[in-house]
Amino acid sequence: MTLKLYGMALSTNTQRVTVVCHEKNIPFELVKVDLFANEHKSAGFLEKQPFGQVPYIDDDGFVLYESRPIAAYIARKYAAQGTPGLVPSDPQDHALYEQAVATEMSHFDPSASGLSFEMIAKKIFFKTDPDEARVAQLLSTLNAKLDVYEEILGKQKYLAGDEITLADLFHLPAGTRLVKIGLDVIEKRPNVSRWWKDISSRPSWVAVTSSA
Amino acid sequence: MVLQLHGFPTSTCTLRVAVVCKEKNIPFDFTLVDLLTGEHKKSPFTDVQPFGQVPYIDDNGFVLYESRAIGRYLATKYASQGTPNLVPADPKANALFEQAASIETANFDVFASGLAWELRFTKMYGGETDEKRVATLIASLQAKLDAYDVILGQQKYLGGNDVTLADLFHLPYGSVIVSIGVNEFDKRPNVARWWKDISTRPSWLAVKNGL
Repeated sequence: MTLKLYGMALSTNTQRVTVVCHEKNIPFELVKVDLFANEHKSAGFLEKQPFGQVPYIDDDGFVLYESRPIAAYIARKYAAQGTPGLVPSDPQDHALYEQAVATEMSHFDPSASGLSFEMIAKKIFFKTDPDEARVAQLLSTLNAKLDVYEEILGKQKYLAGDEITLADLFHLPAGTRLVKIGLDVIEKRPNVSRWWKDISSRPSWVAVTSSA
Repeated sequence: MVLQLHGFPTSTCTLRVAVVCKEKNIPFDFTLVDLLTGEHKKSPFTDVQPFGQVPYIDDNGFVLYESRAIGRYLATKYASQGTPNLVPADPKANALFEQAASIETANFDVFASGLAWELRFTKMYGGETDEKRVATLIASLQAKLDAYDVILGQQKYLGGNDVTLADLFHLPYGSVIVSIGVNEFDKRPNVARWWKDISTRPSWLAVKNGL
């Protein structure tokens, strides 16, 4: 049975899964959860995802949520097709991959998603303006973190080493929002810029953004 | 050579690695990184850990940072000793473990570490508690723990019926917020049972007061 992905095409967390499906040539059915109608807070949805968040998958009856575990599960299940090595198997390579995944989650996502929320989502969902003080704080944090990324990416091609992994792809949804907002945090750093151009021009990501 | 753990004796993230070492009976040498003098913000520390944070490990020349990545590496390397299946091998069990670990980072740590900062650590650095932020963080934590209570009413631990790293990862910040009087675990019967179980494990008792 085709993999069922419950979410919304525009949702960053849903996109984190769809890009991996494209990388691995995995057919999937996107079942729309209408966030604007609060469908994710309905009793039926909460039975599957008790935190009321998208996305979740149903893989022939196996239900899983949290976008990064979903992506890792399907990348490992389909290790033999599409882009190889997205989740390395060698113990030390795998550890460096987990280090990079943790880096994305704790050093990139909080400020990148925070800025996206302040400058895009607040207007759409809550019809309110950004909190300028919070934006300044988030931008300061993001710049400090990306200075470190600049250093790391000056020594190796991708975040976990010289091969692309899920850790790089996980940056795509929130990173694309930063570019959309018009922030120059990526473009003003040559190594980060090179890496960003590489990952964001992959056919898998182009497929995601052109169908959103 | 014995595993080298570089960190700070009471640092939550350092203890997150130490508790895994204890669960897996992995001997380690602890090297103090003096956070109070800013040792972690300059070379040579930042040559190894460019984000300027503790801990990192040196496993016979293999250097790794990010406490949860370190925990996974050690639990997998020493799979056959100490508590088994802290990182399950079976694909679906592994996926459910990773789901639980992601919940810890995204739906617990954010709020618990924020509360730890506002109610304890900021004062250590001469700051003031932001009461409004505390209220927001507590409200968010309560909503998340309501979901935990549903999950833990259906299974014994966060990743299934056996303990995994995902449960252990909660111990450092969970303990800090309990010690500063945020008693949200106790208010929910299933969460209370789970918290009592993991926080009284010998591995945690061995390290909780510092290295």
